[in-house]
Amino acid sequence: MVYPYDVIINAAIVSAISFLIIFYITPPFIKYLNKQGKTVVDYHKPGKPFIPRPAGPIILIGIVIAEIILYLLIQDVKIISLVLTTIIAFFIGYIDDLKTMPGWFKPVALILAAIPIIVLGSHGNYLGLIFDSAFIPLLYIPLILSIIPIVGNTINSIDVFNGVASGFVIITMIPLLVSVLLFGNTNVFLMGLPLFFGCIAIYHYHKFPSKIFLGDSGTLLLGSMYAVVSIAGNSEIIGVIALLPAVMNSFLFLSSVKKIVEHRQVKTRPVTICDDYRLMASKETQAPATLVRLILAKGPLSEKEIVNRILILGTFSSILAFISIAIQYSFMKGMISL
Amino acid sequence: MRMFGLFALIFIMWSMIMIVSYFLIFIIGPLHITLFNNSTDGLISSMVKASLAIGLVVVLILLLGILKSKYLRKTLLKN
Repeated sequence: MVYPYDVIINAAIVSAISFLIIFYITPPFIKYLNKQGKTVVDYHKPGKPFIPRPAGPIILIGIVIAEIILYLLIQDVKIISLVLTTIIAFFIGYIDDLKTMPGWFKPVALILAAIPIIVLGSHGNYLGLIFDSAFIPLLYIPLILSIIPIVGNTINSIDVFNGVASGFVIITMIPLLVSVLLFGNTNVFLMGLPLFFGCIAIYHYHKFPSKIFLGDSGTLLLGSMYAVVSIAGNSEIIGVIALLPAVMNSFLFLSSVKKIVEHRQVKTRPVTICDDYRLMASKETQAPATLVRLILAKGPLSEKEIVNRILILGTFSSILAFISIAIQYSFMKGMISL
Repeated sequence: MRMFGLFALIFIMWSMIMIVSYFLIFIIGPLHITLFNNSTDGLISSMVKASLAIGLVVVLILLLGILKSKYLRKTLLKN
């Protein structure tokens, strides 16, 4: 029996551990990366400064330590599957950070990250579909094998400007955590807290102007962990609704290039940089459609203005996710029936 | 007002997800096919339901593709 008091104490412990580790270890890690020369050019700033990358290892350490402590406190096997999925996603991203892999690598390799969820049975057999749940024991397995790569790559593909990926995950985690609490269980809610507070900590260094970049290792682990929390917490559709701007970005990109390729492999860039370092949408018809290109369709904007607009879109989709939660809760409690 | 089109696009995507969810729960979910009056019927019903659900998702993606093309034509190419 889990008492609310225990939940609050456990929530405070895991949130604080994840936040404090990432918040306090990132500055020395930035110095270490600079010393090792592990930096990349930030093309959108005057003077094109070198920014250390990746922040993935530090996010992984903070989150995994918090999850291990949570496991010692509540001993739920779902935590093991979450940790394994997160670690596998991290290493897939880290390989891509070290050596540029072909476009198919991340989506295909991320299927491996979904295996711990299936093997350890962290998923349910019901898919929450707002108005009710659908019993899909067999169909659920291929769904999990596709959700992890899709969400992982969706967060990865939106990480185009300073602070977007970490800020976007913070905003979209709010409806997801509420949904998990209402339709999932408190253990999964506790599992999601290290991700939320870890993101808040790293956002402090990743926000405009970035002191560190997340890298593929950081974004893939954030996306995969988000997906595991939504699967284990019976909140898949709510999670997708909150991510709609990022989903739209991936969909626009894939449907315009018609194949899975790395953004850096695309010959015609979707945006160009003006002399004053503002960005403008490409006039080329061959350029891929992306969310940023659509934001810039009505004229050039600075990087900070674009970041703010992406986060506003994330807030809007999170509001829609909250409306969906209200509808689902009303149907679940019998307040509305059709 | 600069972002109105994008807000509308996200709202339409959300509405489409809600409509598909409604169809899956209230139209496809209760479907039951009786052919042999034994346990095979359950299996056939499940397969038909799964196929319809996948088909519905494919239709959703196609509709999103059409929506995207129209929106791109309206915004990017016009500007």
